[in-house]
Amino acid sequence: MINQLRKIYSSLLVYSEGHDNLDTTYKWFVTGENEIVGIHDEELTSKDVSLLTTFLLPYNINLPIPTDEERKWKNAIHATESSANFEIKNPYRFIYFSIKKNQIDPTVFKDAIHELFANPVPILWGNGHEGIIIEEQIDYEDSISFEEIKDILMSDLSVKIHFFIGSYKEGLEDIAQYYHSLTNAAKKVFVYTNKTVVTYIDAVPYLLINQTEPDLRSDIGKTVLQEYINDEETLKMIETFLQCNLNISETAKVLHMHRNSLQYRLDRFFEKTGIDVRQFHHAMTVYLALLARK
Amino acid sequence: MADLKLVNIRKVYDKDVVSVKDFSLEIRDKEFLVLVGPSGCGKSTTLRMIAGLEEISGGDLYIGDKRVNDVPPKDRDIAMVFQNYALYPHMDVYNNMAFGLKLRKFKKDEIKKRVDNAAKILGLEDLLTRKPKALSGGQRQRVALGRAIVRDAEVFLMDEPLSNLDAKLRVQMRAEIQKLHRRLQTTTVYVTHDQTEAMTMATRLVVMKDGYIQQVGAPKEVYDEPNNVFVGGFIGSPAMNFLNGKLEENYFVMDDVKILVPEGKMKYLREQGYVGKDIILGVRPEDIHDEPLFLDFSPETKIKASIEVAELMGAEIILYSKVNDQDFVARVDARFSVAAGETVDLAFDLNKAHFFDCESELRIK
Repeated sequence: MINQLRKIYSSLLVYSEGHDNLDTTYKWFVTGENEIVGIHDEELTSKDVSLLTTFLLPYNINLPIPTDEERKWKNAIHATESSANFEIKNPYRFIYFSIKKNQIDPTVFKDAIHELFANPVPILWGNGHEGIIIEEQIDYEDSISFEEIKDILMSDLSVKIHFFIGSYKEGLEDIAQYYHSLTNAAKKVFVYTNKTVVTYIDAVPYLLINQTEPDLRSDIGKTVLQEYINDEETLKMIETFLQCNLNISETAKVLHMHRNSLQYRLDRFFEKTGIDVRQFHHAMTVYLALLARK
Repeated sequence: MADLKLVNIRKVYDKDVVSVKDFSLEIRDKEFLVLVGPSGCGKSTTLRMIAGLEEISGGDLYIGDKRVNDVPPKDRDIAMVFQNYALYPHMDVYNNMAFGLKLRKFKKDEIKKRVDNAAKILGLEDLLTRKPKALSGGQRQRVALGRAIVRDAEVFLMDEPLSNLDAKLRVQMRAEIQKLHRRLQTTTVYVTHDQTEAMTMATRLVVMKDGYIQQVGAPKEVYDEPNNVFVGGFIGSPAMNFLNGKLEENYFVMDDVKILVPEGKMKYLREQGYVGKDIILGVRPEDIHDEPLFLDFSPETKIKASIEVAELMGAEIILYSKVNDQDFVARVDARFSVAAGETVDLAFDLNKAHFFDCESELRIK
């Protein structure tokens, strides 16, 4: 195949895996044998690129070359024919990650991520600063949480990382939908929270609010929070109370205020709005109203 | 080594949520500076802006003489330790410490030199081949510190590094970090919500609330001379007592309870026009006495207190009581036994007490 291509494209270059400093005036592809093939831009029309992409994997020179497994996952997500023989033994989940642009070499990120798991995990890069980690559900004695992973990576790589963790899934059915809903959701949730590690389950209220029409969102905020809509101090207190699972003592401790003062302020909020945030249903309503404000 | 300068630093998140407001501070070379305050006060955000993990919305940040607002975090020569002292689970201690340097393409012999040196400083020499699961919590935290030390950075940033340890280990690690700082002399910015940690570790501490600096000073200075009610209440455990009352000529009055105000304090209160006005008295628990000698010499600062709870702490007893329906706490010597339900005489040492303005809550000086 390479020789045939070379007859058509005289500029064609072939490298083995791991070649550094690839020429940016070339378009690069990866063959099924993990060879890197480059053809000079001047020899390629957009039609040529489309045609080549049907049997070669386009390769971003800033990203690590995909492994066989990563290629299989990519094919499965994009439902190409070659995904037919791909079998998955264990439940798996996708973890979306994003890093600030141009702050880290993706190969360095990949090396660090691989050291955090018992086996190298597939990483599907969307671009140079975001992508998906695929984690199989296997119980390892010394596995660590993504909160911990985030801190390790921040201290070693000096970058702020966001992780959005999907729920576990079995089999390849609807994998494309799973992928798209996770990546779409990931781009919305971090507006609503300062947390850098969020699970899909945590994010459901954010996604519901995000789908709500702006007018309705504004109405919910105004109707529920009433005269408190701009009272940052009270709203911060209530938000902390919700974060502390409606536990008065814990909230008072976090806010460094007396338990009785907190009780008094929650009573005042009840008197003025008719909403008792100590009750689950009211608490949930206020939580949605707080999100609607954001 | 380096000094840091933060000039009018601000952090605004989306939708105008201001997390840090006009933060200006010079952090001296070799200093161990502690940022302390309750949750949401902006201390971690400030630390992350120094690290470059959060963008600075306004103001200037200097490391040494260089403005670093737009310098990527990896180029700021800063090492960080976080609350999660997690390690690479499948690497041994040596490689956990070495990995950050490997990623930065350091040469093998330089990595070895630095890791061996850090291991020696932290007493980890015998543990270098162990995996994290074979380490105790304290040992893991030492390895996490080691991962920062090997960087040989100009500045250490520590974000609540002891919060996940149990109380006993926290006390032990507190001392270890202090020893480490004395040895390395690296400029350190340390964030905690724990005032005891702040008091015991800081060269200087910065008390924050709602994104603003409330007070900067040496621990003793902040403890003895709090700028306002918040600082007085936040620093110290048990917290400072605050009693609302009125200032009359020579007396602090709470309805039928009158406490004599020493002339030294009365003079400036009088000069500033507080006589006849509502005022807040702040008195530390240890400045309320039950010793007979003190009571004899202070008849006009004496009150009758009905003890609701008495907690024996060993050498001292913490007494919970009320005066004029306002709660207060006293810390007295355990040699004089007091039990809950008893009514005892207690005297306030107003020479050591403070008065605060009712509206601004600032200390009157």
